[in-house]
Amino acid sequence: MPRQRALYLPRAYRLGPTRRRFLQGSAAAIAGVTLANCRQNIAQQAAPEAEAESTGSTTEGGNGGGSGVLHVYTWADYTNDEMVNAFTEKTGIEVIVDIYDSNETMLAKMQAGGGDAYSIIYPSDYMVQQMIELNMLTKLEPARISGLDNIFDKWQDPVYDPGNTFSVPFAWGTTGLLYNTDVISDAPEDWDYLWDNSSALSKQMTLLDDVRETMGMVLKSLGYSYNSTDPAEIEEAYERLVEIKPDLASFMSFGFEDGLLSGDLAVVMAYSVDALSSIAEDDRLNYVIPSSGSSVWTDTLVIPTTAPNADAAYEWINFNLDPAIAQLNTETLFNATPNKVAYENLSAEFKNDEKLFPPEELLAKCEGIAPVGDAASVYDEFWTRVTSA
Amino acid sequence: MSASLSKGRLRGLATGWGYHLSRLTGPLALLGPAGLWLLLFLVLPTLLILDISLVPGLRPEDVDSAYGLGNYSKLFNPFDPAFDPVYLQVIWRSVYYATVSTLACLVLGFPVAYWLAIMAPRRWRNFLVVAFVLPLWTSSLLRSYAWMSILRPTGLLNSFIAWLSSFIPGVELPTQSWLYTSTAVFVGLTYNFLPYMVLILYASLEKLDISLLEAAADLGATPRQVFWKVTVPQTLPGIAAGCLLVFITSMGDFVVPTLLGGASSMTISRLIYNQFLGITRNWGLGSALSMVLIMAVSLAIALLLKYGDRDSVKEA
Repeated sequence: MPRQRALYLPRAYRLGPTRRRFLQGSAAAIAGVTLANCRQNIAQQAAPEAEAESTGSTTEGGNGGGSGVLHVYTWADYTNDEMVNAFTEKTGIEVIVDIYDSNETMLAKMQAGGGDAYSIIYPSDYMVQQMIELNMLTKLEPARISGLDNIFDKWQDPVYDPGNTFSVPFAWGTTGLLYNTDVISDAPEDWDYLWDNSSALSKQMTLLDDVRETMGMVLKSLGYSYNSTDPAEIEEAYERLVEIKPDLASFMSFGFEDGLLSGDLAVVMAYSVDALSSIAEDDRLNYVIPSSGSSVWTDTLVIPTTAPNADAAYEWINFNLDPAIAQLNTETLFNATPNKVAYENLSAEFKNDEKLFPPEELLAKCEGIAPVGDAASVYDEFWTRVTSA
Repeated sequence: MSASLSKGRLRGLATGWGYHLSRLTGPLALLGPAGLWLLLFLVLPTLLILDISLVPGLRPEDVDSAYGLGNYSKLFNPFDPAFDPVYLQVIWRSVYYATVSTLACLVLGFPVAYWLAIMAPRRWRNFLVVAFVLPLWTSSLLRSYAWMSILRPTGLLNSFIAWLSSFIPGVELPTQSWLYTSTAVFVGLTYNFLPYMVLILYASLEKLDISLLEAAADLGATPRQVFWKVTVPQTLPGIAAGCLLVFITSMGDFVVPTLLGGASSMTISRLIYNQFLGITRNWGLGSALSMVLIMAVSLAIALLLKYGDRDSVKEA
């Protein structure tokens, strides 16, 4: 902690000693407010640990002890009323859900201090790793979590968070192509479809507004890794992306459903969870995981260090680890569950849905998005060039 | 304490030091709250942005990075190895969008304002002005979504064009995807800011001295000459004010280019958003871009104060 004197953590330092001296005079006026906030922050950060020690043994099993309000910061469509009501009924904790549309937006809000109310957030795999490095996550106490042994072996020791020390896997899924079968008769099989049909489907295609997914997809279509760190490969992917850019309608991560259904868009790059819920609403749509492989992502449950209500957060984690709830999540929210028991209990219709649970040989070709270290700036540079030019 | 004494003391206070104090406290009480508001929520944040913009490539978790002009040199200095012309391209595109939509607003707005101020029946005038501003009562986000449903390939505009061409045998009027093009951005910006332009021009034209127009006509000027040599010069300050206001607001607009612009319409406001909330998380560069936008807008406002018709802006 002492070396993490970051811009986002102790607020007083934001207007603080070394770099920002000239602002100090003018900041004096609001120093009272700032310091008060800062103190509150520190108090909140200290609180979960203290409470954990005192109540750790009594709340084991996750039934009871919870109180107050739990602020949850999650993706759109990751909760629904049914599930939230069941949680409130069981624990007496009121739940307030706010949503974000990208890991980066969430990170920026948390770093700017705008997320102090949240006790539970849902970062994806690579973001968990990044937030651990930034000391933003609370180390979970194994004694307060029950049901983790129901998780598939694959998620018992994930690369992004070995041993699930800071996070609990909540759901997983893939990235692929969602398309309107009325508009395109030949089903796309691989990413190359976008390049082969770019002129026929001009302005009818969108890609995700997400540097790692979209650049990764292009890398994959070239036969490279989704997580390539070779600048030459990344540049090659950039060149290939520029080829179809004039034919793209937009870069968008959500909001393409209307366009797809009306036929304005033919094929969009989408996350499986969004794709499958769209298909459930209209069966003209279909989803395919490209044959050369794609990304497999895992969204997790974590408790930020700023969490004001860690007790409720543990309740929420245990509630979601309950196989019955995990099953409900898969059936109503269309995310693939990492919960073995829940998976076994699913009906054959869900279990055999290869869009939801792709076959092993296809999964073997997919990769999880991993931090790329110094190559991140290379990605940023080319992504800015693609989207800004 | 007798009543007369206290009265005398009060009077003494009022004419003595208390009087001077009240001369100070009056303006202070009136200006204080707004001044404090401006200081806390405009001046200080702007200084903070300036401060952050002077740290090259600052990310929120960075601790002690040195000051430098790296962010600005990345934007503007072609001799810097980190220089990327794409940023200038984005700034240029923002200026281009703002300029075209300002001109469109002027061309579309002037006749309307002219009619409202000079030709419309006087008792209807206020009603008509309110009616014209009515669209501003809905959110610009909603209005942009409405335009999406008009401009998309299967939208209203293309249906209308197809319907029209069904009346003209042998001629196929071109339908195309209007959405996600520059045209869509121009349409959206022009639609959003036209009411402001009309209001300001109306305020300026309303003060037009009609007798000057009559005199010009009496002295043999053609209607065209009257318009260009008498009407326009008199309303030039209003035109300048309207243009600058529309230019400033459309330059910084985020909603329209994001929703209507598509893959090739990155503007400076979207780029700033990406620097703060996107993957790059380069708060230093984002702040530098913000300062560029703030400077451009300040320059426009300075021009407005110098050349514009301030009265018509105030009335609008």
